[in-house]
Amino acid sequence: MQPSLGQRLIAYTIFFILGVLVLVPLAAGVITAFKPRIIWVSSPPTWIFSPTLENFEFVLIQRNNLLHLRNSLIIASGSVTIALILGVPAAYALARFRFRGSKGLLQWLISLRMIPPIVVALPFYILFQTFDLRNTHIGMMMAYLTFLIPLVIWMMRGYFAEIPSAMEECAMVEGYSRLGALRKVVLPVVLPGIIATALLNFMFAWNEYFLALILGGRDTSTLPAAAATYVGRAQVEWGNLFAINLIIMTPVIILTLILRRQLVKGLSLGAVD
Amino acid sequence: MALPIKTQPPSATRQSQFRIWFYHWSQKNIHWFFIAPALIAILVVAIYPIVYSTGLSFFRVSFDSRERPFVLFENFIWILNDKDYWGALGNTLLYVAVTVSGSFVVGFGLALLLRRISVGRNWIRLVLILPLTIAPIVVGLTWNWMFDPLFGLVNWFFIGIGVQPQTWLAQTGTARIVVMLVDIWQWYPLVFLIMDAGLSSLPKAPYESARLEGASDWMIFTRITLPLLRAVILVALLLRTVDAFRTFDLVRVMTDGGPAQTTETLSLYLYRTAFNFNKLSRAGAGATIMLIVISIISNFMFRFLYREQEGR
Repeated sequence: MQPSLGQRLIAYTIFFILGVLVLVPLAAGVITAFKPRIIWVSSPPTWIFSPTLENFEFVLIQRNNLLHLRNSLIIASGSVTIALILGVPAAYALARFRFRGSKGLLQWLISLRMIPPIVVALPFYILFQTFDLRNTHIGMMMAYLTFLIPLVIWMMRGYFAEIPSAMEECAMVEGYSRLGALRKVVLPVVLPGIIATALLNFMFAWNEYFLALILGGRDTSTLPAAAATYVGRAQVEWGNLFAINLIIMTPVIILTLILRRQLVKGLSLGAVD
Repeated sequence: MALPIKTQPPSATRQSQFRIWFYHWSQKNIHWFFIAPALIAILVVAIYPIVYSTGLSFFRVSFDSRERPFVLFENFIWILNDKDYWGALGNTLLYVAVTVSGSFVVGFGLALLLRRISVGRNWIRLVLILPLTIAPIVVGLTWNWMFDPLFGLVNWFFIGIGVQPQTWLAQTGTARIVVMLVDIWQWYPLVFLIMDAGLSSLPKAPYESARLEGASDWMIFTRITLPLLRAVILVALLLRTVDAFRTFDLVRVMTDGGPAQTTETLSLYLYRTAFNFNKLSRAGAGATIMLIVISIISNFMFRFLYREQEGR
């Protein structure tokens, strides 16, 4: 049954309003990042001006955010790589073998996602001092693994389960060992899944703030932690702040465009796909 | 899938007997070789910290002293007697109730609405899920600026329709509402994504026969759509509840708990206790209580969920 013209009109109106509510704040922020300093806080807001890159130059070079950008990249890509190396084999085993406790293990893994970060952050803070991991990228990556590993296992298990196990069996009849079959036959097929998992996890690690705030040292502080230091001052440097915001937002929006379909699976813990 | 394994007839030496035994054992338990690295890593980075944090709450720990005397329940008693703790708990419960139901209604509503149209669906989907992917910290900072009393766009909009400019984030009446609205703005896309996927996977047959029987839209929704989507709805609610319960980023940059602690959530309170007031172990006790509460809630919802999935 086709909805009537009136119904469709109402639907499009609602979507239009929602679209405005979503896009206007984001667009206004992006525009502010390109405003010259004198009109950052002009009131009423100025919308016609010659765009400048001076805010970006200022935050990246004068304010040393190039370092934070580097930290964000190192910590996010490093922790995701480790999570994949550890998580992908486990996901394969959980998708392929039925053994005693496999179901319980899976449920336990999702429940790890429910841990409030403060529960992990407090002991990490103290343990970092004990093991001299303060101000190191390795320490930050370890903290990020607490939420990345369960997520990798959950997403990858879904991708492995979609591949018929007959594929490996054939390869094994042809004389491959299990590991050989896994490397030569299964991994190429599941590669798009691995890429999607990597990108989504990168997004989570990239956006992370709480652990970065508590555990980040002088040389390991990430971009979100740096952005947050801009508020709460007497005079907020809005143009500079939005320049950092835009740097944080850009890769994530690009990833969203690439990942649209995989996003649901990752975010709903594989419950829906 | 086990393939017949041809082994040499067992020779008499003990060593090769052990080898054969080991070979069979490793074939039977091969899954553990795949799982063990991840499991060990999780034990180190998740379980050990949790146990440590729980243990911490029975000692007196602070940054300025090396001594850590055992104090049993002192930290728990202290935190349960702190009225700020109960205030933060109340705020958090209100926050969870409002933002979870708000994002659920908006997200589910939009997912249902999207079924009614055909042109431009993919573009609408893309725009609608944008807030979810942006870092909460960026969302908070952006809206902080939108609600600025002097030059924020929100006030310019309200001046346009004849309302006096307000200091939205500095008044006890409005700060709470604004923060919760922004939270809904950020998280409705999660519900939308999950429900949209759930609606796409529904079978067609029950709908066709219901239409033939002349059922109304409302009846179809309550009698067919809702029951079929029960498990999906539970997943969405579970994820939202757990996330809302531990909200930190958004509140931290928008109000930092103020004004008059009306927006102070549990995470914020524990952070303040540990790092501003230097009471690590009291925060540890609070975190332990929070962990227990979250486990109870999620366990309860999981039970429900699995019974739901097995019933089908």
